[in-house]
Amino acid sequence: MMATSVNDLILEPPRLVKHTPLLTVTNINKQYGQVIALEEVNVELYPREVLGVVGESGSGKSTLLRMLNLEENPDSGAYHLEIPSYQDQNLFELSRFERRQLRVKQIGIVYQNPHLGLRMRNSSSGNVAERLVVAGERNFSRLRAAAKRSLEVSEFPVTRMDDPPKNLSGGMQQRVQLAKAIALKPALLLLDEPTTGLDVSVQALVLDTLRRLQRDLGIAMLVVSHDLGVIRTLSDRVMVMRHGRVVEQGLTDQVLEDPQHPYTQQLVHAKL
Amino acid sequence: MAYVAARGGEQAILEAENLYRELLGTLSLERVKIIEETMPYLIDRVMGEASIYAPELAALAIAQTGGELYESVLLLRAYRSTQPRLAYAAPLEQDDLKTVRRVSAAFKDIPGGQVLGPTLDYSHRVLRMEVLRGETVTHQTKAAPQASPSSFPALAAWQRQAGLLPEIQADQTVPSEIPDVTREPLLFPVSRAHKLQSLARGDTGGILALGYANMRGYGAVHPTINEVRLAYAEVLLTHPSTGVQFSAGQVRVSSSEIVTNFAGNPQDPRLELGFSATLGWNEVKTIAASMLDLSMERSGHPSQTPEFVLYHTEPVEASGFCIHFKLPHYVTFQSSLEAMRDVKGKGHREKVKEESAVALEEAML
Amino acid sequence: MRLSELTKPVQDHAYAFLDEASKRELRRKILKGICIPGYQVPYASREVPMARGWGTGGLQVTLTLVAPHSTVKVIDQGADDSVNAANIRRFIARVAAAKTTTDACEATLIQSRHRIPEERLLEGQVLILQVPEPEPLRGVETSSAAAAELHADADYGMMWLKLYEQMVRYKRIIQGASYPVLVGNRYIMSPSPIPRWDVPMLHQAAHLTILSAGREKRLYCVPPYTEVRPLEFDDVPYQIENVDGMVCFRTGATHKFMNELPQEDGSSLFELSDSGYGEKILTETPLGETYYDSEGRFYHDGYLRQ
Repeated sequence: MMATSVNDLILEPPRLVKHTPLLTVTNINKQYGQVIALEEVNVELYPREVLGVVGESGSGKSTLLRMLNLEENPDSGAYHLEIPSYQDQNLFELSRFERRQLRVKQIGIVYQNPHLGLRMRNSSSGNVAERLVVAGERNFSRLRAAAKRSLEVSEFPVTRMDDPPKNLSGGMQQRVQLAKAIALKPALLLLDEPTTGLDVSVQALVLDTLRRLQRDLGIAMLVVSHDLGVIRTLSDRVMVMRHGRVVEQGLTDQVLEDPQHPYTQQLVHAKL
Repeated sequence: MAYVAARGGEQAILEAENLYRELLGTLSLERVKIIEETMPYLIDRVMGEASIYAPELAALAIAQTGGELYESVLLLRAYRSTQPRLAYAAPLEQDDLKTVRRVSAAFKDIPGGQVLGPTLDYSHRVLRMEVLRGETVTHQTKAAPQASPSSFPALAAWQRQAGLLPEIQADQTVPSEIPDVTREPLLFPVSRAHKLQSLARGDTGGILALGYANMRGYGAVHPTINEVRLAYAEVLLTHPSTGVQFSAGQVRVSSSEIVTNFAGNPQDPRLELGFSATLGWNEVKTIAASMLDLSMERSGHPSQTPEFVLYHTEPVEASGFCIHFKLPHYVTFQSSLEAMRDVKGKGHREKVKEESAVALEEAML
Repeated sequence: MRLSELTKPVQDHAYAFLDEASKRELRRKILKGICIPGYQVPYASREVPMARGWGTGGLQVTLTLVAPHSTVKVIDQGADDSVNAANIRRFIARVAAAKTTTDACEATLIQSRHRIPEERLLEGQVLILQVPEPEPLRGVETSSAAAAELHADADYGMMWLKLYEQMVRYKRIIQGASYPVLVGNRYIMSPSPIPRWDVPMLHQAAHLTILSAGREKRLYCVPPYTEVRPLEFDDVPYQIENVDGMVCFRTGATHKFMNELPQEDGSSLFELSDSGYGEKILTETPLGETYYDSEGRFYHDGYLRQ
């Protein structure tokens, strides 16, 4: 059922749980002028699962993420989320208004660049609270308490909850983004190079938080990264992309220990 | 009664206006005529910003306000807005203009030649003190050996032929269908018609400031003046019943084209062109405006954003809003003051409250 | 026969100054505004013989609606005798030959800057508010084009965030005048810089309110009997200005919006902001019912929470 025509090395993804996927993307294609950004890409993500997407820049992984966050539509393809009142709905066909509703309640995202995800001059707690307000919360004490709780869960120091992100370190900014992303317990959490650009020690701490959060909240996550270390730490399963195509996928350990596709082999060896 | 006695407002404003007018002295037709005859460039600037070609009315507006230019422009605009639009003039090409001055910085010589015409560009900026001593100064030009042609081809037309500028399709919109910014709100994204019209009636100083910002370093473009023109344009109307085209007279116009370094497709690079035209002879404004026309095709600095440029160079709106801050604002001030005093007074009360708020927050977690 | 015999004598301007084309455009835009309460309708906004920012938006609406049988009241900061109000009233009277008044109950058209009269307006009366900045989102979004999209999506998170930040910083909402309201449960609207005291008067009002910004070329309406709610958190009630203990030194009135007059000894005197109302008290003219009674209770029970 995956794009076997593209490469016969692609294996049937192992089923961790006998379950319907939470996220199903079928046959996405996207072209920018002459450049093919995505070609026949298929993705499945199961409840509580973490899927890593690796590839160099230009491989199409960021384009894929933008589509999963409903920021952009493909030329063709379908996107389904198995959540109440959205079953059997191709999300690419939603109106602008419906998309916003869905994104607010069900999709959280952490960007590599915190400027994309945060209002840098507002307070950190306000950044988190805004998401709750958009979802309809109008009680100040509850907003404040929920923002605080979400920041705490993201292991952000609550004494600084009213500092604006522009005064915070990179690691803390990512924690604010995370708190905002999970504030409404979304069905899907998208992470776009969440630790790239952070100091190695800070990176480890943020990854730690992400792992713990995933375990505690059981949110399905999709992590895009060029860093195999991040993928290895976080993901159950990994998908390798190149030139807009999925060239290999499987269990993380399996793919990274015993890569089949020459490109994956090259990636893994480069890392070593 | 005290309350009614406070009602001095109406009398006060009448007298304040009287004082202004008394200090200006008597208004007379003679005074208006002198202004019209001796200050053509001032008249042109006011007519351009007012977007109405009426030298006599412009001179009257200047006389009536004592040369308070924003007030003069407002007077003319307010008059203009009550006038019906009776007819639509035929569009003109640049070579239809009776051009008296046309220079290009892009080439040493151009088809039709460089025509300096009347200009102060090469004058020594020295005050003629002898005039204050009672001497009169007059100037007489020597006739050229041969008359210059009455029209000049557009340099851009030659550049298009030579493949230096992209080909464009002539816009076939009939004159009555061209969007008219004097009768419609300016909305964004802005149509090109509204953009050029807004620049044409823009504040000379404002247009210069933003155009200069782009020329000096906030713009990505280094401009070259393709051509700048001062000319007379024939206003051609069509008779409503006979259908015959006739001239309703001539107006002074200036126009400017600016080209920038090539951009776009590396396989087929072309120059980019910025254009502007305005009523009256106002070179500095039209050059700066053509720079803005070009820059607004890009985006980045606010001085390249149509909304920023066009809103803030509108002379009547900008000057009106600026002086409106003189109006009393004591109700709004009182309202903020009340909130501030409350916050101030809360300082000590808050200590008690804060403890209970913390307790509440803890309880919610 | 001569051409001059066939035509009317030249007039300096049309009735009520604006030409018919301008009035027609405004009438259409006003109707559109009434149909979509709180929505900002762009209009051409002609230049009028007054500087932009001095009430040209309100004036254009008044000139469009005025008729020889109209009775017009013009106020600025609550006062009929404020110089700019006097100037606008003089102009309207001059070009439209309409009757003028200082009595809010008598007026059919009330053009106002920054205040709503204390006496309740009734069905058939039209209140025209001058608006310097029609865009309530301007403070959080400078681009008009982007703000228009936010309105279209009813994407008002940033407005709430602004209030949240004020609560965090000052423990209260510090917005003074121009307090943002939600109209008809759809559009966030700036009520113009009226004090918070006046904002509730727009809610379920019997009269029509037209708000018009000449410089920004936008008008919007609150039709009669429309829901108008200030943005407030459930647990942080909207606060009007506190006028407790303020007594008008001219009329003895209390629980009305007051001007504060600083005195040389460091204290302050207070006077009614609504000068027409004050004049009626002093001349013992029968008063209309007011939005707030002499105890400061608002006439819609329960609208203002404690």
